[in-house]
Amino acid sequence: MQQGGGSEAEVTWEDQQNINKFGRLNNRFHELDDEVKIAKETNENLEDASNELILTDEEVVRFQIGEVFAHVPKEEVETRIEQMKEASSKNLEKLEEEKDSVLAQMSELKKILYGKFGDSINLEED
Amino acid sequence: MASSSLSTTERRGIPGAQFVEDVETYLTQSGLDVNSALSFLQERLQQYKLVEMKFLAQQRDLQAKIPDIEKCLDVVATLQAKKGTAEALVADFEVSQGIYSRACIEAADSVCLWLGANVMLEYSCEEATALLQKNFNNAKASLEVLVADLQFLRDQVTITQEAQNASKR
Repeated sequence: MQQGGGSEAEVTWEDQQNINKFGRLNNRFHELDDEVKIAKETNENLEDASNELILTDEEVVRFQIGEVFAHVPKEEVETRIEQMKEASSKNLEKLEEEKDSVLAQMSELKKILYGKFGDSINLEED
Repeated sequence: MASSSLSTTERRGIPGAQFVEDVETYLTQSGLDVNSALSFLQERLQQYKLVEMKFLAQQRDLQAKIPDIEKCLDVVATLQAKKGTAEALVADFEVSQGIYSRACIEAADSVCLWLGANVMLEYSCEEATALLQKNFNNAKASLEVLVADLQFLRDQVTITQEAQNASKR
């Protein structure tokens, strides 16, 4: 994102604040993108884990807690994985919502800034 | 005549960037000619970059520490839960890379926490949970402050870049 050298439009303090806000939102958007990717991966892993669990005959499953693998009865593991899956999907939902809100705010700001500066400002990704 | 608004707020030792609305007024106010003003702004940008690197490194450290503390809290909670059932907790732990050994952990009244600097202290489960929770909260709070600092920093960088562009015009 750059501010080009347009010589007509003056940058007021309000414009500067809008530009700053856009910069912050852009950064937050990239962070959210990464976080959403990680959350989706976690979700997938938990799905795979619970599928594996259904297929296994073992009564005792080694469940990772911290750095060690504790021997946990299968039912408890199932319960735990269900809880983790719920928490993970809620987290993913929250992140997606925030991402949408950030995008919406960014398009609003784009309209305002392009309206004032036109070609002298570039708000796209390089 | 448009004037430059002086919002040179400071934040934790980071000088705020002065917003330049009108280049001429800015130059007369600071008593600099265009070239010295440009080099001053360039210098400021370098300083901001340095501080940004430092903050990003701190942020990475905190972001690595927080999951670690969460894992410890998990383990202590599990031990506490097991204590109630009078069953030993059987766990496989890593002795060396790729080599695991089985451990049988009897009902635990206390845990030992590694405090760093080659110091390990024994705590009761409740105290351990309290301590770990406190560390976790502190880490989260520091991370938030750091993120806010980074945002402030990036704003100053943007303002300084704007001032540069304005002066170049």
